[in-house]
Amino acid sequence: MRVSVEPTYEMTKILGANRFEVDVAEAATVADVVETTKARVGPEFEKLVRLAAIAVNGVLVSYRNGMKTRLAEGDEVRFVKASAGG
Amino acid sequence: MMMKGYAGRILEVDLASRTFAFKPLDEDVARLYIGGKGYGTRLLYDMTEAGVDPLGPANPLIFATGPLNGSVAPQSNRFAVVCKSPLTGGIGNAACGGSFAYGMKRAGIDILICKNQSPTPIRLDINGDKDEVRFLDATDLWGKGTYDTQKRLVGRKYNAVIGPAGENLVLYAGIVSNERIAGRTGVGAVMGSKKLKAISVDGSRKLEMDDPEAFKEYTKTVRALFRDHPVLGHSLEAYGTAGIVKTTNARNILPTHNFKYGHFKDAMSLTGEYMHDHTLVGTKSSCLHCPVMCGRQVEVEGKGVVKGPEYETLGLMGSNLDIADIKKVQEWNYAADDMGMDTISLGAVLGFTMELQERGMLQSGLAFGDPAGITEMIHDIAHRRDLGNELADGVKRMSHKFGGREFAMHVKGLELSAYDPRGSFAQGVEYATTNRGGCHVQGASMYLESVGPLTINPQNLKLKADIPVVQQNLACTINSMVLCIFTTYGMIPKAVHEMDPKSWQYRLAVTMLENSGPLLRIVQGIKGVPMMWWEKWMTYITGTTITSGHLQEIGGRIFNLERMFNLREGLSARDDTLPPRMLYEPIFKHMDRGHPLEQLLPRYYRLRGWDADGVPTRDTLERLQVRV
Repeated sequence: MRVSVEPTYEMTKILGANRFEVDVAEAATVADVVETTKARVGPEFEKLVRLAAIAVNGVLVSYRNGMKTRLAEGDEVRFVKASAGG
Repeated sequence: MMMKGYAGRILEVDLASRTFAFKPLDEDVARLYIGGKGYGTRLLYDMTEAGVDPLGPANPLIFATGPLNGSVAPQSNRFAVVCKSPLTGGIGNAACGGSFAYGMKRAGIDILICKNQSPTPIRLDINGDKDEVRFLDATDLWGKGTYDTQKRLVGRKYNAVIGPAGENLVLYAGIVSNERIAGRTGVGAVMGSKKLKAISVDGSRKLEMDDPEAFKEYTKTVRALFRDHPVLGHSLEAYGTAGIVKTTNARNILPTHNFKYGHFKDAMSLTGEYMHDHTLVGTKSSCLHCPVMCGRQVEVEGKGVVKGPEYETLGLMGSNLDIADIKKVQEWNYAADDMGMDTISLGAVLGFTMELQERGMLQSGLAFGDPAGITEMIHDIAHRRDLGNELADGVKRMSHKFGGREFAMHVKGLELSAYDPRGSFAQGVEYATTNRGGCHVQGASMYLESVGPLTINPQNLKLKADIPVVQQNLACTINSMVLCIFTTYGMIPKAVHEMDPKSWQYRLAVTMLENSGPLLRIVQGIKGVPMMWWEKWMTYITGTTITSGHLQEIGGRIFNLERMFNLREGLSARDDTLPPRMLYEPIFKHMDRGHPLEQLLPRYYRLRGWDADGVPTRDTLERLQVRV
């Protein structure tokens, strides 16, 4: 199945895109998407992943099943950094 | 003898008779309400009758400082403005950085009250050393933008001015000091109704403190803490408040298409990071003596280097209008600042207008995703020309005239800020209950549930009524001391920012926080030792021990007095609501409805000590010593 990925700004610099799609197996998890992306990009990505939260369709996975959160076709996986306000 | 930190004087200026008088600050009131918004609200309540015309002579315009202003503590150069709001009909207030607060304290003025109306454009020139107020003709300045006006006040460093928007009584006009604005609730229109174009103030007094050595040493510690803090020392300088666009977009709470959606697919080009890489020419602190360099400098064609947009402007005038061109938003931000208008309300008004156009309900020529006509409309609004005259009244009045109440994004008439409450339930409760209307900075609950480094699940009911009470109370006192609300970001230590948000430790911390309700209530009441820097500063400056328990009590007092003002003006529980779009239209895949306000409001009322109709009980008012 296909899901879309939105990286953090720092990630876009090494990924070369601010949004892309990945093909993963049915019932893949967030961890699978991260691994697929890491394989595409390399170890530099690992450090940036560590600092980011991950949301699926706007909901942080830490409120669901963490990295084992299962995905569905068309889901949007977004990497999130904490920020200040305004 | 007056508490230290205060000059001990209120200056009352009558713009009709061109007279003035210095009166003593009431120390009992200062102990109960601190200063700033708190003291200002007390004055407003006592000086007005129910039903006062907000644009009439009997609505006082109150500029209020607090005991931390003039101290050069980080983030302490702010003043509050209090009046009845012409936009909401309830309590109006706004806070502003820049330099005016410092000027007021140098002049030895805690509070300035502007009464009645001048028949002709006027400006005030106040010399606190000579106890002198000059009433000067401002015909030459009338019609000028805020930047030009301030430049023309030669030799005057500490000014508060309005632009054409205030002069023309745009209901969301603000008051500007340097590059900062007291933007919300139309305080600029009240100043314009008095034909008061500018106030300049100066003197040479120094702030007296109870323990200046302790203050000085401790402030060094705080400055070092700020320098090392991930937000106050790093991300705000690198990306400004614009750094938050990516976060809110990822969490589905960035207003898009008049708040119809929470995610904008082209948001990347509106981010602080994008601004940093493509359009930023410098960073600066926009507020005197503040070490937090959150201000952006960008170039706008024909205008040179100007202040760049904040998060709210990028949200409300960028994604909310489906506009991805940051240069356009920068241009409109400059125009709005120069005209002296609140960009939050302006952006919401433009979004509403675009949706009316889309639905065939109002022909404006403005369309989502199209920048054409927006610059002209901003100026038309500021000058109340043609259709701009309608937009100048805000979305609530527009919706009554043209329809579209379901998607008129306001609470109590104040247009919503750029955090969608469908993804931030506590923020939704805060929007619905904050006395000045749909505002985010008089609590900032969203920081703990959808924006900050440690966030609870924003879409369950845990703590969603509790957090707004604590945050609103704290914000009332922050706006009374008067400090920048960003100071509260420093409460979350560096170690939390460095946690992996996917780790079990993070999930444990979130779980503990989510279940901290009983602890939160206990902590509210503790009057132990001063812990946070603002508590210590207040203690060192005034000589009175101030702790979180004291501030929660004072904040509750201020909040309840605001509430009583609103009730006296005819607002009620009926106004503690959210726009229908927020209540009924889902924007998350896993939800089939919007914000569950009806499940949270009863608890909020109980925690506040209000009855089921949202009226503070007699016991609550007595406990908090709120005299009405």
